[in-house]
Amino acid sequence: MSNKEKASLPAKPKRTFAQKLQRANSRGDIATFFMLAPSVLLLLVTSVYPFLWIFRYVCYDYNGMNAYYTGTRNFTRMLSDASFWGSVGHTFEYALLKIVFIIPLALIMAVLMNRKIKGSGLFRGIYFMPTIISTAVSAMVFTFIFAAYNGILNAILRSTGIISQNINWLGDPKTAMWSVIIVAIWGGFGNYMIYFISGMAGISEDVYESAQIDGANGLQTFWKITLPMLSPMLKIILMLAITGAFKDYDSILVLTQGGPNDRTKVMFLYIYQLIFGSNTADPQIGYGTVLSLTAAVIVGLVTAVYQFFARKLDDVM
Amino acid sequence: MSGGKGVYSTQTKIVRGLLFLFMLIIALLTLYPIIYVVLGSFKENQELLVGGTSIFPKHFVIDNYIQAWEQADFATYTGNSVYLAFGVMILSLLLSSMAGYVFSRRDFRGKELIYGLFVAFMFINVGSVSLRPLFELAIKLKMNTSLFSVILISAGGGQATYIFLVRGFMNSIPKELDEAAKIDGCTFFQTFYRVMLPVLKPILATVALLSFRGGWNEYILPLVFTMTNQAKRPLTVGVNMLKNAGDGAAAWNIMFAGATIAIIPILFIYICASKYFIEGLTAGAVKG
Repeated sequence: MSNKEKASLPAKPKRTFAQKLQRANSRGDIATFFMLAPSVLLLLVTSVYPFLWIFRYVCYDYNGMNAYYTGTRNFTRMLSDASFWGSVGHTFEYALLKIVFIIPLALIMAVLMNRKIKGSGLFRGIYFMPTIISTAVSAMVFTFIFAAYNGILNAILRSTGIISQNINWLGDPKTAMWSVIIVAIWGGFGNYMIYFISGMAGISEDVYESAQIDGANGLQTFWKITLPMLSPMLKIILMLAITGAFKDYDSILVLTQGGPNDRTKVMFLYIYQLIFGSNTADPQIGYGTVLSLTAAVIVGLVTAVYQFFARKLDDVM
Repeated sequence: MSGGKGVYSTQTKIVRGLLFLFMLIIALLTLYPIIYVVLGSFKENQELLVGGTSIFPKHFVIDNYIQAWEQADFATYTGNSVYLAFGVMILSLLLSSMAGYVFSRRDFRGKELIYGLFVAFMFINVGSVSLRPLFELAIKLKMNTSLFSVILISAGGGQATYIFLVRGFMNSIPKELDEAAKIDGCTFFQTFYRVMLPVLKPILATVALLSFRGGWNEYILPLVFTMTNQAKRPLTVGVNMLKNAGDGAAAWNIMFAGATIAIIPILFIYICASKYFIEGLTAGAVKG
């Protein structure tokens, strides 16, 4: 409505506003607004704002109190930061090893659960149980199990004669990464098993029945029917597993704090220690924001490469 | 396969037996750490410090719990965990039921944009760095000493999944129900409050459980917020702080008791309602 019209009809706008309000109220527009507003507000504050905030400090040296402009120094530092690129390498190593073990295990357990024999409900409930428990607490329990001197794992291995000397599972660079991965597999395979089970629920019983009539055994059924029919779901699950594995760091923080000698320091753990400081160093937030963005890009690239190959696989199969 | 029927079935029996054994071994390995810490929490500290292969306590003592509860502040930690978990749960229920209903039933300008924003921020993950601005914001608002800010952030981070869950469930409910309510004189909000909430019960049960678990198990977030504020620590943080305290070795019994206190309530809820947990997970993965 233009100004001219407003001037010529002074009473109307006011009335229309009241009417508008009433109409909006009766149609539920006002209720809609107030029902959606809390979620949107929280999204803006807890997700959008921190994301935009990151860009504010990429060119600064910021320790939580004072910020100094440093130009491109954060970027050049990143390029020559061997610990960071080391942590990127550890992230790939961790993610790869975790996925190589957790996905086949989850798939095997899902296939076994899918046979619906007596007690499989109970087994399923047990396998899923670790995902209910806080990763921080279960990681702590594993530090007791892995403890070098009085840990029960060493005690059992020694009493059965498998090892003769205690192994410092979390403190020895040779075993630390494997220990961390074992905890990750323990805590996560039930999750992926459930995804696979729900994927298999979509495969019709008729297919299995006709396979049985044709005399296919269990393994043949798995390779020729379950796996091909599961492949769209498998791609999604793999995708979730990859992005999930790249983001893990809280259980590693509890188990080894990235040690020994940074052997288990994954990139998000390295960034966490930069952002919030550690016992020995002040926070380096500006530098941390640059690494965070780089890490996000790395995860994005991995996802894109994976998607590319998953699609290629589609063409072949 | 040339063998007779009898041979075949014995073979099948052996294979089935082996598979069952395999399932059993994996189940025992899965349960072992949980049983180990629960039983270990009744061991004397001396026994824990010496080690040994036995998972059962030599002498069954509950002294660890009394010590943890009275001397190591676990009463406070447990209270904080309960507050945190219920806070996140209630807030998540409120947010997701209302927003999920609106996303399913209303059309308005900017809806696609807002919805897209929720989806986008499920995938944009910059890790722990996002806690820094929120921590600084909380200091500015003088909310950094209260667990309420932790509740808000935790619920804010988890709400997208729950909104999608409710929206997906809502989409499967016929619109005729809304229209009938409207004809009976219900306003939009009344339709939601009186008609839809009861219908949404099953999915809200799932949201309640998942968000309760989320709040109860939250670690890095409360760790950052209670770094200098011991009185506000939840169990996950409190028990781990004990481990990092340096003299950690001496307090194994208290840590075992603390870990058990952190595990048992959520495990009990899981055993009572495992169906909802598992359903929620699959619904979230497929529809979300």
